[in-house]
Amino acid sequence: MSHKRNRNVGIIGIGQTQYSSHREDVNQPEMINEAVRFALEDAGLTYDDIDCVVHGNMELFEMVHQPDLWHTIGTGAYGKDAYRVTTGGTTGATLVCAADNLVASGMYDIVLAVGFEKLQEGHTTGGITNMADPLWSRNLQTGALTGATAGAMIREFGEERARRAAMKLRIDMDKHAMLNPNSHRSFGLDYDQLDDLMENSPKLVGELRLIHMCSQSDGACAMIFASEEKAKELSDKPVWIRDHITIHREETFNLFGKEDAEREETTHRFAARKLFERNGIDNPVDYFDVFEMYDPSSWWGLDWLREFMLLEGDEHLKMVENDELKIGGRLPLNPSGGVVAANPIGATAMVRVAEAALQIRGDAGGHQIPSEVKHALASGFGGTLWTVLTMLEKDLDW
Amino acid sequence: MARQKLRQKDDKHEHCYIRDGKLALPYQYFAGRVGSRFLIALRDKKQILGVKCEKCNRVFVPPRQRCERCMEDLSDSWVELSDTGELTNYTVVNYEDKHLPRKPPYILAMIKLGGADTPLPHILEGIEPGKVELGMKVKAVFADETTNTILDVDHFEPV
Amino acid sequence: MAEYFGTTVDDIFSTQTERFRPEGAEGVDAVIAYDISGAGGGRWMVAIGGGKSETKKLDSLPAEFTAKMITDAETFVGMTVGRIDGMEAFQAGRVRAEGDMAMLLRLPQMFTKYVPPKKPITARDIIETAVDRFQPQYAQELDVTVGYDFTGKGGGQWTAVIKDGKCTLEEGLRDNLTVSNIVSAEDYVDLMLGKLDPMVAFGSGRLKLVGDMELAMKLPKIFAKFVPSEEAEAVEELIVLKKIISVDMEYSTGPVMGQFFEGLMEKKILANVCPKCGRKQLPPREVCAPCRCRADEFVEVGPGGEITMIDDTYYASPDPLTGETRETPYGSLHVLLDGCKDNETFWHMLKKNDLFDAQPGDRVRPVWADERTGSVNDILYFEKVR
Repeated sequence: MSHKRNRNVGIIGIGQTQYSSHREDVNQPEMINEAVRFALEDAGLTYDDIDCVVHGNMELFEMVHQPDLWHTIGTGAYGKDAYRVTTGGTTGATLVCAADNLVASGMYDIVLAVGFEKLQEGHTTGGITNMADPLWSRNLQTGALTGATAGAMIREFGEERARRAAMKLRIDMDKHAMLNPNSHRSFGLDYDQLDDLMENSPKLVGELRLIHMCSQSDGACAMIFASEEKAKELSDKPVWIRDHITIHREETFNLFGKEDAEREETTHRFAARKLFERNGIDNPVDYFDVFEMYDPSSWWGLDWLREFMLLEGDEHLKMVENDELKIGGRLPLNPSGGVVAANPIGATAMVRVAEAALQIRGDAGGHQIPSEVKHALASGFGGTLWTVLTMLEKDLDW
Repeated sequence: MARQKLRQKDDKHEHCYIRDGKLALPYQYFAGRVGSRFLIALRDKKQILGVKCEKCNRVFVPPRQRCERCMEDLSDSWVELSDTGELTNYTVVNYEDKHLPRKPPYILAMIKLGGADTPLPHILEGIEPGKVELGMKVKAVFADETTNTILDVDHFEPV
Repeated sequence: MAEYFGTTVDDIFSTQTERFRPEGAEGVDAVIAYDISGAGGGRWMVAIGGGKSETKKLDSLPAEFTAKMITDAETFVGMTVGRIDGMEAFQAGRVRAEGDMAMLLRLPQMFTKYVPPKKPITARDIIETAVDRFQPQYAQELDVTVGYDFTGKGGGQWTAVIKDGKCTLEEGLRDNLTVSNIVSAEDYVDLMLGKLDPMVAFGSGRLKLVGDMELAMKLPKIFAKFVPSEEAEAVEELIVLKKIISVDMEYSTGPVMGQFFEGLMEKKILANVCPKCGRKQLPPREVCAPCRCRADEFVEVGPGGEITMIDDTYYASPDPLTGETRETPYGSLHVLLDGCKDNETFWHMLKKNDLFDAQPGDRVRPVWADERTGSVNDILYFEKVR
């Protein structure tokens, strides 16, 4: 049984800015407005058609407050119902959940959701550190960086194989990013650089090296959601939201990666298992045609693939090694280039859903998967290890 | 960070303490192209610029890229405003805080500049709080030392 | 000296000392070494200390340095003049750092930004854009050579070869030129920037045209107008306001963390226990989240224990409470204190000297601060038991 919904909800408009390291030419509402206009254009709608706006980004990142209020000149929310969502890294995914819930409930027919971040304006690591418990963890926290996952994988699979697989995935993602004009970072890496990068990319924490880690990006993403009736009326190819799940199991703002090694089942696997069980999906690798994962680093991307796809042993490593995650492979992972290619945090998890929807529509341009995409999965990640998963479908036939 | 002892909350609450702390974070704000043009005109030419929405027939100051009502792009419809205006509302700030621009008491006023439709909040000086009257004419006094902020107008004073 | 983006590596280092800001380098005593490869590269050393700075070009790098930057000349210049994103170059491995990375990150406070002097446009700058300005639609079926003989200061000789709808530029003058322009380099720049009227220049003999005059008259069409590149133009000013938000806070411990801190002041580590599942929580929390019940029994654990995980950190993240950059590398660790099991681990710091020696499974013990105030710092760090 998936989530109960009064009616089906379709994605009918998608807009993204170019992602980059800094945008001095626009202030926050101006940057948001770029994405909003693209989404309205994509849906063939005007501001007047929007019933409600959901707005979100990360707290403490730009050090400005209640931005949903003064961003009305960017979102077009003047005189409309509006909500603000801020759930850390999962903000973008939660924006999608909120918009879906608002439409599915029957409250609104057409909802615009906007996620943004201008990380250049703030101090990302400082912001994340200040989210930890001020009496204890704040003094130990080092932003969102950890070498724990790399360490655990090296222990499990041996140094050479684990490091190679993580760097291979990094290069795979860069190859995808090269095909996506919105990417913030597309280096043009090649497989012959693998050994050099493994040795010479600067270390951040443990075996987590700079090249593995996501960027700090500026950018915004906007999406328009409509009831089944409206979506069919307004769009040639609405993308349907089948189900979504949000799991928070972290009791304290604890060290990243700790829970992985010591829990029986990670939060990611727990969420994926519950979601797939209630939707009757036995083999997610075969079921999904694309997976847009929130991969803050290549180590996490690799490790989490096993968790989200309910794989065992070294199946996830084999998928990287056998080129199964590349565009055209068995389960293309992040054709957009993923989070290592662009990370405007409050938008990032929404970009995963937006990119998955573009793949279903066949509108992803240079990074479109060549075969038909009918079933897509998108993940969001935030805080220490909490997760949101969203399932999208091409046809209303589940 | 300097070691600070926990303070006991009070006698009634056993084991309950308070720790003095701080939240300090650096950040920057990009004014954008429209905001920059406004601030640069203020700083370099001592000129107050607004933008006009032809559709709604409203002149906004400070300027914004889009009209909040009809969402028209206003970034090229600049108008120069008078540096004098009319007091439409005011209040007297009586509390002290390090984030405030002046020591109390000072007058925070809403001023509708000649040519503008939206009032601009700013500081009013050169008059006793008891003598302020709505509708009075006030004039911008530009700051000698500029900071790339709205405080490049140092304050307004009665004409 | 090889130029990149109109600047050489030497240009940058020759202004290093005059760009020093003593107020940004208070208390700093450091030697920064630069190993810059490629044409125009070399080895430099910048010493900072006692409110002074000194820059030297060296044949070999000093054995002792605080931090070292390794990159190529183009990347170095590009980053300095803001044409290459430093972070991206770093991520792509085009820049590498050794030693104290935090010191490299402090450099922008210690030295003002290098601003390339405004260079006047030269005849060479203009003629070198000839191929880009070539418009083949006006040069169909031409098979010609056009000579440029620039005399005087900043002079030089070039030949533009136009054939099969393509244009190439070579240095020097070919024999048997179809047409030749002879003009002083200075006048040529003025002509191309529209400051000197071509008819005046030709009429007064300052510009001489030798050869096919018909072709000479067509040249302004064959080559599009020269437009000074963006870098020569004024950059649009975009305002960025830099601020620090700083808010005084008062945090309440509540009775649970309060008892934990009371314990630390007496060199005791207290966990609390869930009455339902028996799990110990460190630091203690008022409730057990999975069981959704209060956990109010305290037990003393440790103080010694076994390492379960170490995170060695190289990224110089600032301490947000003070804004000071932490010294790297440092290690944080998870310890399974005596009396705890499974994931009941305790998070703290590892003694610096133990960073590359300690590993999961090793025994550690806390080193206590002499003055304990009820804080995370009452334990300085954990050290390996040897």
